Amino acid sequence: MKLNLNKEIYSLEATQKAAYRFIDRVTILIEPAGEEWLCEIEPVAGHEDKFNDHIADFKRELLDQQLRKQIKEETQDVRNLILAYTFSRTGLQG
Amino acid sequence: MTKFSPLVEYKATQGQYQLLPFKFEPLDDHDVVITNYVGEFAFISREDLETTLSKKLDPNSKIYSLLRSRHFIKENGDEASIELLGLKTRTKYSNLRNFTNLHIFVVTLRCDHSCQYCQVSRQSENKVAFDMTIDMAEKALAIVFRSPNPAIKIEFQGGEPLLNFDLVKHIVLSAKEINETQNRDLQFVITSTLTLVTDEILLFCKAHKVYLSTSLDGPEDLHNRNRPRPGRDSYERFVEGLERTRGVLGFDAVSALMTTSPASLTRAKDIVDEYLRHGFDGIFFRHLSPYGFAIKTKSYGAYNVDRWLKFYEEGLDYIIELNKQGVRFTEQFAALMLTKMLTSNDPGYVDLMNPSGAGIAAVVFNYDGDIYASDESRMLREMDDTTFKIGNLFTSSYEDVFTNEVLLGALEDSFTLSAPMCSDCAFEPWCGADPVYHHAMHGDVLGRKPESEFCKRIMGVVKLLLERMKSDPQVKTIFMRWANRC
Repeated sequence: MKLNLNKEIYSLEATQKAAYRFIDRVTILIEPAGEEWLCEIEPVAGHEDKFNDHIADFKRELLDQQLRKQIKEETQDVRNLILAYTFSRTGLQG
Repeated sequence: MTKFSPLVEYKATQGQYQLLPFKFEPLDDHDVVITNYVGEFAFISREDLETTLSKKLDPNSKIYSLLRSRHFIKENGDEASIELLGLKTRTKYSNLRNFTNLHIFVVTLRCDHSCQYCQVSRQSENKVAFDMTIDMAEKALAIVFRSPNPAIKIEFQGGEPLLNFDLVKHIVLSAKEINETQNRDLQFVITSTLTLVTDEILLFCKAHKVYLSTSLDGPEDLHNRNRPRPGRDSYERFVEGLERTRGVLGFDAVSALMTTSPASLTRAKDIVDEYLRHGFDGIFFRHLSPYGFAIKTKSYGAYNVDRWLKFYEEGLDYIIELNKQGVRFTEQFAALMLTKMLTSNDPGYVDLMNPSGAGIAAVVFNYDGDIYASDESRMLREMDDTTFKIGNLFTSSYEDVFTNEVLLGALEDSFTLSAPMCSDCAFEPWCGADPVYHHAMHGDVLGRKPESEFCKRIMGVVKLLLERMKSDPQVKTIFMRWANRC
């Protein structure tokens, strides 16, 4: 089956990460198609019965991955600051 | 006139908070668990997660206080949050600088048992082929005391180490002699079935504070089925050996481990009851490992991770019920996980470390003089896979062993914070890299996590522990007790 995702809503990174989490159940090929990502989805052998469930779970995972990306980007500076504090007295900084 | 500003001065204004780094994982359709940078966690609803990210949390709400107090969000001026997270991060990784603690000496592969799932043992009288020599042991001790770790644990494994007890004695006496000038916190443990213990052996162990770690798989029929030996009397000999050992060394000088064979899967309660009958205060539900005879005899393939998790859940729930009735009894794998989840301590369990504990937390000196990065690595060698051989006692220096490209490559390539799926996983702070397992099962040290039974097992256990804590405050209290005893 094919699933079209709006590029403005779903980043490539989030789509790839969501697809990776499903590689034991479905194979997902991602290609750009204008303003959308075109996802071609096929079940892995032995997972045909629950294919529709996997698709529904994949859609939920897309949203989670987009939220994870938001947290990661928004906290990048503070993450570096925490690591700076962590190693501040080790003499290991460049 | 008051000296203090009114409370309102300290309250945040709507939308003024910032996110601190955190990860989340769905628990069900409504709730997620969120973990902060060092693995402290909270349960929140999906709705609250989305409100948090859109900066619309009410500063007067309980969820706001919870997230602020556990370092998921900060207000402008909350600089202490970042300093505290930095300090906790440093504490979390502080064990790494101590380097190797566990040094395993495989003093012989010979054994009086022929367990189906055993990874390595040989029923052989050929001492020359399967015993470590004094020369090898002394070279290994020279490497042991190069470790910078103030605590050194020497564990004797086999086969059955008591079949080469003269070498065990030599290593203990030599290590203690070296330690007179080194002053390390030196510990000795023999892993033994206890079927061959004698008073002479026990008196030596008592004189030199050598502990014993043994194996008990469950009630007599199950234990004997799992652990065949001539005479089919493994259980009877175990009971005799346990009583004799406790009589000389003391009740707490012996601990026991079980291995889940296919025949164990319907016997979780029986197995726990057997441990209680012998006065043990805990059990470690161990799954089979995909190495050696477990693969050859098809024991490993006899059940999958979902079946093991069902067994684990049944056993864990039974143990929780016992605790609620006042019986102090611990499931030790849960206790290791809970120590990571509920305290700032890391128990240093090799399978649950990142970077992987292979080589840097444990190292194995094999009976033939080769050096391996972990116990599982030397088991792979018995399947003719020497990938994780990191040196040889006759040809390698300390520097050669611990800067070996095989070791460094495996540590770097399996690092969870940069691994696909792991890097985004809320359970990552509690989990570990297991390059040897993934090499054995997937052909590369990283593996594909969605297909990894290691990943499924850890995720399954963590979700079970979280679910039990979330639904029952009494369980949380029991788990806190387990976490603080490691």
